[in-house]
Amino acid sequence: MSQATLGIRAISGHAGSVPGAGVERGLEVCKLIDTTTCIGCKACEVACLEWNGLTFSETTFDNSYQTMPETSWNYWNLIKFNEHEREDGSMALLMRKDQCMHCEEPGCLAACPADGAIVQYVNGIVDFQQDHCIGCGYCITGCPFNIPKFSPTARKVFKCTLCNDRVTQGLEPACIKSCPTGCLHFGSKTDMKDLADKRAAQLREHSGFANAGVYDPPGVGGTHVIYVLHDSTNPEAYGGLPKNPTIPLTVQLWKTPLKWLGNLAIIGGLIGVFAHYLRFGPKIVEEDENGKQGARQ
Amino acid sequence: MTPEPHLLPNGRVLRYSYRERLVHWLAGFSYVYLLLTGLAFWSPWLFWIAVVLGGATVSRELHPWAGLVFVAAVLMMYRMWASGMKESPADAAWWKAVRHYIRNEDEQMPSADRFNPGQKLLFWGFLWNGLLLLLSGVILWFPQYIPWSLRFLRYLAVIVHPVCALLTIGLFIIHVYMGAAIERGAFGSVIRGDVSRAWADRHHHTWYRQLLRDSEARK
Amino acid sequence: MTNGWIDIKNTDMMLIMGGNPAENHPCGFKWAIEAKRNRNAKMIVVDPRFTRTASTADLFLQIRAGADIAFLGGLIHYAIENDRIAKDYLLNYTNAAFVVKEGFKLPEDGLYSGFDPAAHTYDKATWNYEEGGDLTGKAVAAEAPHKPAPVPAPAKPGQTPPPAPALPPNVAHDLALQHPRCVFQLLKKQYSRYTPEMVERITGIPKDQFLKAADLFTSIRKNGDMKKAATIIYAVGWTQHTYGTQIIRTAAMMQLLMGNVGRAGGGVNALRGHSNIQGATDMAGIFDNLPGYLKVPNPADTDLAAYLKRITPTPSKPGQWDSFNYWSNTPKFVTSLLKAMYGDAATKQNNFAFDYLPKVDRNYSWTNIWDNMYRGSVKGIFAFGMNGVMIGPDTQKNIDALKKAEWLVVGEIYPDETSEFWRAPGITADEKKNIKTTVYRLPCAGFAEKDGSMTNSARWLQWKNAALPPPGDARLDQDIVAQIFLRVRDLYKKEGGKFPDPILNLTWPYTDPQHPSLTDIAKEINGKALADLTDPATQQTTKTGQQLPGFAWLKDDGTTSCGNWIYCGSWTEAGPLVARRGTEDPSGLGIYPNWAWSWPANRRVLYNRASCDLDGKPWDPQRRQVWWNEAAQKWVGNDVPDFKADSHPKDHLGPFIMNPEGVGRLFVPLGAVSDGPFPEHYEPFESPIQNPLHPNQSNNPVVKKLTTAADKFGTPEQGFTVVCTTYRLTEQYHYWTKNNPMNVQLIPEPFVEIPVELASEIGVRGSEKIKVTSARGTYVAKAFVTRRIKPMTIDGKKVYQIGVPIHQGFRGIAEDAERNARTPANLLSPTVIDPNAYTPEFKGFLVKVEKA
Repeated sequence: MSQATLGIRAISGHAGSVPGAGVERGLEVCKLIDTTTCIGCKACEVACLEWNGLTFSETTFDNSYQTMPETSWNYWNLIKFNEHEREDGSMALLMRKDQCMHCEEPGCLAACPADGAIVQYVNGIVDFQQDHCIGCGYCITGCPFNIPKFSPTARKVFKCTLCNDRVTQGLEPACIKSCPTGCLHFGSKTDMKDLADKRAAQLREHSGFANAGVYDPPGVGGTHVIYVLHDSTNPEAYGGLPKNPTIPLTVQLWKTPLKWLGNLAIIGGLIGVFAHYLRFGPKIVEEDENGKQGARQ
Repeated sequence: MTPEPHLLPNGRVLRYSYRERLVHWLAGFSYVYLLLTGLAFWSPWLFWIAVVLGGATVSRELHPWAGLVFVAAVLMMYRMWASGMKESPADAAWWKAVRHYIRNEDEQMPSADRFNPGQKLLFWGFLWNGLLLLLSGVILWFPQYIPWSLRFLRYLAVIVHPVCALLTIGLFIIHVYMGAAIERGAFGSVIRGDVSRAWADRHHHTWYRQLLRDSEARK
Repeated sequence: MTNGWIDIKNTDMMLIMGGNPAENHPCGFKWAIEAKRNRNAKMIVVDPRFTRTASTADLFLQIRAGADIAFLGGLIHYAIENDRIAKDYLLNYTNAAFVVKEGFKLPEDGLYSGFDPAAHTYDKATWNYEEGGDLTGKAVAAEAPHKPAPVPAPAKPGQTPPPAPALPPNVAHDLALQHPRCVFQLLKKQYSRYTPEMVERITGIPKDQFLKAADLFTSIRKNGDMKKAATIIYAVGWTQHTYGTQIIRTAAMMQLLMGNVGRAGGGVNALRGHSNIQGATDMAGIFDNLPGYLKVPNPADTDLAAYLKRITPTPSKPGQWDSFNYWSNTPKFVTSLLKAMYGDAATKQNNFAFDYLPKVDRNYSWTNIWDNMYRGSVKGIFAFGMNGVMIGPDTQKNIDALKKAEWLVVGEIYPDETSEFWRAPGITADEKKNIKTTVYRLPCAGFAEKDGSMTNSARWLQWKNAALPPPGDARLDQDIVAQIFLRVRDLYKKEGGKFPDPILNLTWPYTDPQHPSLTDIAKEINGKALADLTDPATQQTTKTGQQLPGFAWLKDDGTTSCGNWIYCGSWTEAGPLVARRGTEDPSGLGIYPNWAWSWPANRRVLYNRASCDLDGKPWDPQRRQVWWNEAAQKWVGNDVPDFKADSHPKDHLGPFIMNPEGVGRLFVPLGAVSDGPFPEHYEPFESPIQNPLHPNQSNNPVVKKLTTAADKFGTPEQGFTVVCTTYRLTEQYHYWTKNNPMNVQLIPEPFVEIPVELASEIGVRGSEKIKVTSARGTYVAKAFVTRRIKPMTIDGKKVYQIGVPIHQGFRGIAEDAERNARTPANLLSPTVIDPNAYTPEFKGFLVKVEKA
């Protein structure tokens, strides 16, 4: 996709203006995942593989129904299975579809040094442009959700695109299309938030989940993938969903204060030595005829 | 071991041996490459450097290897120069008088050995920063192998690497400025290897006197 | 299903038990989720394991595998004790008021009246209604002491059995439900033994949890309210027991008691495990049926008249009530079937070729066929669309049986464990050389390469088109069957034989006899008029050769042909109704009358007359399925009324029109179910305990053991103390998808789910290999150590349960790469079957578990 489109509102590693920033506000899209009606069938995993033409890899059984420990460069959509004992002693099998959260303030994009390797569209989708990816992996560090994954063969990083190719054609993402129970929804952020809030309220009132709530973490400016959780006070129980995700502090320090401090220091240093040269000039040692004696007496 | 004769027949003083010069430039060229590619990743406004150097992917691939070369060179320097770089009691006086050095009032400077305290600072600065850059660099080289549970290592690396790099950049600016612009004769010392006796006497009086004494002793 | 998949969205309460729809029917499970989301319906899941279905439940109870009747019996007890029953429904739509024959005895000792211990069968003479009129208000104060049931003389070989007892036409009844022998009182007495304490002892479900579930489930009938409806959803977790039919009956009784049958959001709903299992059953997929659930002839049926007399019921009801007794039309169904099979060769003079039909003299169910092969009397087998080695219990016995067979024909899309049975682990190279079985492997078309209709659990016949032609030499199943038939017929033509007529006269009226199209076959099944017919009521006519509009047109005089009466109406002169894709749903009840076609007569909910009160008004005005229209003097509705359309409610015609009683059966008379008129809890054939209800009669008394050397059973005393249950996973489809890299990636290896406590007892951690051993074989796989199966206390004993998924065997991607032990799960399971449906007991047998 051209970077010169009004459809893009943020570009990684980009010097200069971004055409879509502050110019156009399209409908912000959102995927809603209702973990309380997810049955862990993995249809979304398969749909993701098929739509995106991802390759197979050999897996091993690891004392779980979970296909693999975490998402991978060729497996962008993974249901995390968690056996959980509630306080009242009852069992729960928490199943959470893990994939890119499409943060409003994406850490991957902030950390990426390659011009145009990561873009954020005005609809909120954060998309990797592998043509521009240099394979540095800074996005891996920038992401608070452990999503971008490095491909040893491509030497580039891959992740869920929220089926940007489908969404631009007016289709829902492949995972949504495949979900048999309708625990996945896709629509505008406002509509999805509304739907999620209603579902959470229903869970609180009718299903006895007093802490049911919506996961739309403010630490990353909200996300374009939101969850309804039985217990929103304990997202970690859902396969390590961070409670208050933010762009890692060091990435923030590096990308803002340090960057400006460093730039100032470098420029200041260059100016300083130049000024020094103008003021004092070189150190010249006058050589005597026989070369036996220096300037020092 | 018999020290190499430093007082050359042509009346000049051998300051850096061939090996020392080779190592210096190994470090120098690798550092410049690291600096340029690093700067390209540092700021979008300098990303063009990576493009000029063959594309950002090439830069990302080669930067870590250049880093290994640089650290290797720095370690060789350590082997060669560590003894000369040890802090000596005289250093304090030198630092106390450093403003004269800055103002080119070199005659008011205390006598320096083969390496003056400024050079020692440069040396240790590059050594320690180089090691930290190596450690953080390895993490940045292979972020995909750092498990999620050890992600703090990556978080440390992304801040340690640029901080150390900035420190070396500061040292580097001063070093290049002094070596190329201020200290006339110094540049030649890392090219041809020799300096004039006057230069040696002026800037490294203690060292030069020792050379003379050693020479006398050999006679 | 009495109802349908979509109808689940109309429910207020779900009991999911003996099934794991979230994993095995994920697409249909959406309707359960809809009910939760849109109606705040409650979901109770009862299962030996905390499954993915349980993860969405409001209440989960862990039950010991095989203790289902105890649980359901406990529910019946609770509902009666707490008056959570539908009184009007019970009185008028069930046989609660019917009085049972004197001499009938409840199984307090584990046996009903009439047991013959030598033959392991019952004389069912006392399992009948009393003849007589209205006994309301005339109830005998106390029941007469039991007369001991007459012990039947053991049948002597060669002696013709006495004529089977029949149902009385005028049933004695007590509408006050007070008569000690009325069905309701017997029912109450039968389940009075299923106290919460007893439920806890047998099922392992703590009393308080059971009471919580019982209260929740029956809460829909609080204070006599009839508006709400509850559904019971099950699958093979109920059928695969030596008393599987009785578990389902208990559920049906519970639903009748609560008035949930026939209603939107109610019913007893069997989830079929394959896309067309319902179709297979409808089309006589079992040996004792003909298409449309007609009973198969037996050797005693000397002619058509005798056969029809035996299988055609007569009404049996209280005198003042009416009964449609729809099976009274059986002769029309049978004659039309014979006409469809033998065409012009079936004439009135030759009894419509009744003699051509094979007379079934004994049990030819799946396990018996393999048992006979093991014994050497079955010489060969055609295995199409099924992996015989893997499907059946006791895999080793099946493999050994195949070793003895002379030939084996396998029609499949992959080489499977059956066609490669000689590659089973444990067969040495030398032994391989000695296997003389000739194996013919016929590559067949896959599902996407075939057209045709499939009948889903909701009884919908849905037509599908082929997506692409079969690859290479693969052929359509019907082409292969046609080739074989035509050649066998040619052989009979040339060489004659003992009785060639059934083969030579079989109709083969297909456009291309070599490649019969499924369109031709579907039309043949629907049936056509063989003469000009006129409906006397409507004066509509159907001309000779035209497709029949419905089974009401079937005749017993040879003027109609129909391959399956319940499918009549699916492919009419209007075209293939099975291919309809109308998405209109005016009622909002998810009836979709113009989507495909549902048997019978496009009805979506069976017995829907029962969704109305006695006056013909819906119990719940919000869910109007059918109702009596007084002005039009007929039954109308959003669904097709499953009833005599012009029967005025005042006629009191029973809504259960397929029963001769016209009402639902709480008590099943005359051995329609062979192990008792009321279900009784029996222990699985291999059980960790003796039956707490009657330790001297622990198992189902009518279950017969097979007697080959391979039929071994284990006991706790031999060290087999762990209860094992087998199941499928959502990621794999039976023994098939292990050939697909995608599914193998999702579930790469076989595993056994074991409780954390058992794992620590045997010193095994998650993903380490374990060895599961039963009396029959050993299964090796990785341990899935989980907290989702808890240790249980059964009758005071600590009992562990484990679960073994069935998918992996010795042929597949991972198997070929030797990435697992290549042992099939059914090496463990016993060959012992339900006496009614002949389903093997894959759930709840005994094993021991060790570190491998």
